[in-house]
Amino acid sequence: MNKIIILLVVIFAGSFISESVAQEKKTKTVCFKSNMDCANCENKLNEYLKFEKGVKALKVDYVSNTILIEYKNGKNSDEGLAKSVEKKGYKIEKISLEEYKKLVAASQEETSKKSN
Amino acid sequence: MKSYIICLFLIFPFIANSQILKGTVYGNNESGKEPLPGVNIYWQGTNIGIASDTDGNFKIKKRKNQHMLVFSFVGYETQVVHISGAEPVTITLEPNLKLGEVTVTKKDRGTYLSTINPIHTERITGAELTKAACCNLAESFETNPSVDVSYSDAISGAKELKLLGLAGIYSKLQKENIPNMGGLATSYGLTYIPGPWMESMQVSKGTSSVLNGYESITGQINVEYKKPDSNEKLHLNLFSSASGKLEFNGNTNFKIVGDTLTTGLLVHAENLYNEIDHNNDSFLDEPVIKQFHILNRWKYQNFKGHMAQAGIDLLFEDRTGGQVGFDKDKGNTLNNLYGVNINTARAEAFFKTGYVFPSQSTAIAFLSNFYYHDQKSFYGLNDYNADESKLFMNLILTVDLDKYAFHTINTGASFIYNKFNEELKTTNRLFLLSRNENIPGLFAEYTYKPNLLFTAMVGFRSDFHNQFGTILTPRMHLRYSPDNKLVFRASVGKGYRSANVLAENIFLLASSRSLNWEDANYLENAWNYGISLVQNYTLFDKALQINTEFYRTDFIDQLIIDRESSETEVLLYPLDGKSYANSFQVDLKYELIKNFDLVLAYRLNDVKQTIGDKLKEKALTSRYKGLITLNYTTNLKKWMFDYTVQFNGGGRIPVYGVQPNLDDEFSPYTIMNAQVTKYFRGWNIYLGSENLAGFKQKNPILGANDPFGPNFDATTIWGPVKGRRIYVGLRFTLNN
Repeated sequence: MNKIIILLVVIFAGSFISESVAQEKKTKTVCFKSNMDCANCENKLNEYLKFEKGVKALKVDYVSNTILIEYKNGKNSDEGLAKSVEKKGYKIEKISLEEYKKLVAASQEETSKKSN
Repeated sequence: MKSYIICLFLIFPFIANSQILKGTVYGNNESGKEPLPGVNIYWQGTNIGIASDTDGNFKIKKRKNQHMLVFSFVGYETQVVHISGAEPVTITLEPNLKLGEVTVTKKDRGTYLSTINPIHTERITGAELTKAACCNLAESFETNPSVDVSYSDAISGAKELKLLGLAGIYSKLQKENIPNMGGLATSYGLTYIPGPWMESMQVSKGTSSVLNGYESITGQINVEYKKPDSNEKLHLNLFSSASGKLEFNGNTNFKIVGDTLTTGLLVHAENLYNEIDHNNDSFLDEPVIKQFHILNRWKYQNFKGHMAQAGIDLLFEDRTGGQVGFDKDKGNTLNNLYGVNINTARAEAFFKTGYVFPSQSTAIAFLSNFYYHDQKSFYGLNDYNADESKLFMNLILTVDLDKYAFHTINTGASFIYNKFNEELKTTNRLFLLSRNENIPGLFAEYTYKPNLLFTAMVGFRSDFHNQFGTILTPRMHLRYSPDNKLVFRASVGKGYRSANVLAENIFLLASSRSLNWEDANYLENAWNYGISLVQNYTLFDKALQINTEFYRTDFIDQLIIDRESSETEVLLYPLDGKSYANSFQVDLKYELIKNFDLVLAYRLNDVKQTIGDKLKEKALTSRYKGLITLNYTTNLKKWMFDYTVQFNGGGRIPVYGVQPNLDDEFSPYTIMNAQVTKYFRGWNIYLGSENLAGFKQKNPILGANDPFGPNFDATTIWGPVKGRRIYVGLRFTLNN
C-alpha cells in the first residue's frame, strides 16, 4: 500500500522535475510556412507532430498557415521535423521566427477585421 | 436561408468554468441580417464547442491561451475570428454560394433549444471520463462532487446512485433523452452502460423540464453514447484489474452514404472470473460476472432539416455471488452453499426523428424506445423471476413565437406502456405480481428570454395514469446572470414516480428477513426546491469558479423501507409523517499552476424520514462528503496524472430494537483513487488504483458463518466492500 503511494509520488515528482530540467536544457525553435487549409488538417498535424522525437511545444495554425515547433536540441533537427510534416502531405517552407510572428500577427488582424 | 442544421432532443447547456465570452451570430441572406441558430462555434484546435441558440446568441468559455474562435454553419462561409478580450462579439456569416463544396463540420451539435440553460446542469465530457477506470456508469462519478455511488448489498454487486443525498430511484436516468434503467434494471442498470461507449453525460440537479415526463424528483442524469457520424472511426479499449477482471470495449463507424447515412457498432464484453475472499468471511468479495453488450445504431441526416436515428441494443449478463465454492448448477438448496445468481437478458430498440421547418422557428421531434427485460434469479433460498416490457413515445413541438425567440413554446404528447410480471418464491410462500401501466400525457413549457441576462421557464404536464388517475406536474425555472461573473438559478417543481415494491428492493432478499409489503402499487410524490449561484473570477490570471447550491426535497407520498421495526421482516409501507432531504454543496474549480487543476467540494446531507412513528435520520447515508481532485497534464498532453480523495461522513445504521453486538452508527471514512495515463500517437495506456488505501467496511455480511440462519444480512452496507483495486488499461483510437 505504502509502496504504491510512494511510487505515485515519485512519478508525480518525476514529471515535474523532467519538465523543469527540459526547460533548462537547450531547446531549439523552428518555424514553417505551410499550405494547410482546414481545421481538421491542423488537428491531425498537431496530433502527429506532438509525438515526434524531442518535441516540447507546438503551435499549428491553419489560418496563418504556420507551424512553430520547439524541440530538444540533439533529439531532432529542423530537417527531420520538416520531413515529418511533408510526410503528412503538406508543403512547407522554413521561415525565421520574425517572419513567423509577422504572419501570425497579420492573420489575426485580418480575422478580427472580418468580425467587425 | 440556404440550409440549416437540425439538432433536437437536447436541452443541455453549457456551464462555464473560466472566462466567458458572449456574442451573437448573424447570417446575411436575401432578407437581410438575421440571427443564426445552430452555428457550430469552437476554439480552433480543440473539441470545446457549442452551438448558437435560437436567437444566434452564444456563450463559450475562454481559456487564456485560446484566441481563435471558429464559426461554421452549413451554407455559410466558415469564419475564424481572433478574440483578444472578453467583450461580447458580433459575427456575421456570409452565405456560401457553392454549397456542394462546403465541408460539413462533424461535431455533434448538442444544443438547439437553448445553450443558456435555466436548469442547473453539469456536462461531463469524454475527457473527464478518461480520468478514472470508468468501466461503466457506476464508476463514472468518482471525480464528480454531486453524485455518490454506493453498494446496495455485499453479495450481488448491486450499486446505487445518490443525488442530493437521496436514492437513485428519485433521480431520472436517461439514455439520449429517453428515460431508461428503471424497473427491473434499477439494481444492476448502472453496470449496463459501458464507460467507453459514452460521449458525454449531463447531470442536472433539482426539478427538470416537463418535456421528458413526470419523474425525476431530485435530478436527471443523461448519457450520450458515441454517435455514428462522429470523427472517431475506431476505438478499442482493453481493461484488466488485478482482482481478475477482463474487459473489452470497441466501437466503429461506417459511412454508408457520405455523411447522410452513417452507422455505428459498439461492443462490450467483460469477464470477472476470479473468486476472491480477502476478508475471509467465506463470501466472495465481488460476484463473478460475465456480460456481453452490443449496440448497432444508424443516423440519417439530409442537411435540409430532417434527421432520424434508430438502433438496437442487446445485453446478456450472468452474475453469481455468495460463498466461495458455491456451485450454481446444484441449485439453491440447503444442501448447497449460500449463493446469489442473477441472469439477465435485455433487448432494446429506439427510433428518433426530427424536422426543422425552413422558417427555422418551428421544429418537431419524435422519440421512442422499447425494451424487454428478463431476469431469472435467486437470492439464497428465494427465487425471483420477472420480466418487464416498456414502450416510451414522446412527441415534441418547438415554436418560437417571435423572430428573435424571446418567447418559445415547447409542447407535445407522450405515451408510456409498462408491464411487469414478477414471481417471488420464498421458502414458504409464492407471490405473483403483475402490473400494467398505461400513461398518456400532455405537456407544455413556455420559455421567456428577453435577453442574455434573464430566462424564465414555466412548464406543466398532465398525465392520465390507468392506476393513479390524473397526475399534474408543475415546474418552474429562473436564471439570472447580471454579468459575466454571476449566474443565479432557482427552481421549484413537483415530481412523481410509481414505486416497484419488488423490482427495486430485490437485493434486500440477500438477508434472512423477508419482504413484507402492504400494497404493491404506490405513487411517490415530492416537491423539490433549489437555488444555486455560480461565480466566475479570474485569480492570478487563472479562472476560478465557485458554485454554491441548496436543494430541498419534501415528500408528500413515499414508500418507506423499514428495516428496523421488525426482527424478521423488512416492512414496506406508505409514509405517514414527514420525509425530506436538504442538500447544501459548495464546489470550487481552479487551475492552481499551469496545467494543474484542482477541484474542492463539500456537501452536507440532511435526510430524514418518518419510520414507524419517529422522524429518523435516513440510514446508511453519509452526513457529508468532501472531495478533492487533482489533475496534472503535461504540456502537450503526453502524460496525465489524476488523484481523487473522498471524505465520507458517518451516518446511522438501522438496527432492530437493542442488539448489543451491533453498532448503530458508522464512522467517517476516506477513499482515494489515482491514475496515470501515458499518451502515444493514436493510443494511450493507463494504470491506476481505486480505493488506494484499501478501506473496507468491516464485516459487511452479518451472520456470515450461518447464511441460512436467522441473523444473516448482507444488505446493511454503508461503505466499500471491495479493497484496493489496481487496474491497467489500453485505449486505441483512429480518427477520420
